[in-house]
Amino acid sequence: MTTVLIVLLICLTVVLSAVIVVRPGITATRGGKMMAFLVLFALPILCVGMGGAAQLEHSKSTEFCLSCHIMEPYGRSLRIDDPGHLAAAHFQNHRVPADEACYTCHTNYAMFGGVKAKLGGLKHLYVYYLGKPPAPENIRLYEPYNNRECLHCHAGARSFEEGVVHTADPELLPALRANKTSCLSGGCHGTIHDIPGLKDAKYWKAGG
Amino acid sequence: MLGANVLERRLQIAGLLVILGLLVEASCLFWARPLAFVLFVFIGVTFVGAGLLVYLYSVVSVRH
Repeated sequence: MTTVLIVLLICLTVVLSAVIVVRPGITATRGGKMMAFLVLFALPILCVGMGGAAQLEHSKSTEFCLSCHIMEPYGRSLRIDDPGHLAAAHFQNHRVPADEACYTCHTNYAMFGGVKAKLGGLKHLYVYYLGKPPAPENIRLYEPYNNRECLHCHAGARSFEEGVVHTADPELLPALRANKTSCLSGGCHGTIHDIPGLKDAKYWKAGG
Repeated sequence: MLGANVLERRLQIAGLLVILGLLVEASCLFWARPLAFVLFVFIGVTFVGAGLLVYLYSVVSVRH
């Protein structure tokens, strides 16, 4: 709906700009000058601002992330029928919004983290189109996954704070909160996308 | 079609650049792909920005 409104605003600006292109003489009058300012300055800035915001929202969608061919195995990994697979369990049980599944986990919840995440996305584009993209199974995060992104949702949750495994060692929870021990350590939640295991995996189909 | 004087021609050029940029942007909005984002930023915004600059230049450079 927002996209439609922005496109309508763009169409209006285009039509008014076309009037100035076809009849530039109308800018000789005071009203024409005001119209020129509106059409050739204010409205285009508004259109670009709103369009840019809409594009940034689109870039958070699962569809956006998985539209690149190299991400196809990662999309398939979301449907693995195994609760031990972290990404699949989160996606299938809507622990993350299904339409923003990738962004919810792969953003950065620190200050200006959203901006950093977007800049990282531009780096992906550069590597994909102008660099040498690795094979899907060789794709690695630019930096180790920070527990902060998990704790953004899980901190304070009963399953995290009072889980049997988490409370067995009194030093574990502080280490997790301090990012000294990764949530994704082997033996804990270390099976995430499991790209090499996709060919042997069983898959869940939504709708039964 | 061409404006009678320099100012009008510059306004026409500004208008054409803005139109081109906005058309690129409108088409990119219906396409949720990284390439659409890149086209939006590097083509759409560039054309619109150029149109804005031509308009501002035409306004400040007019001689009465």
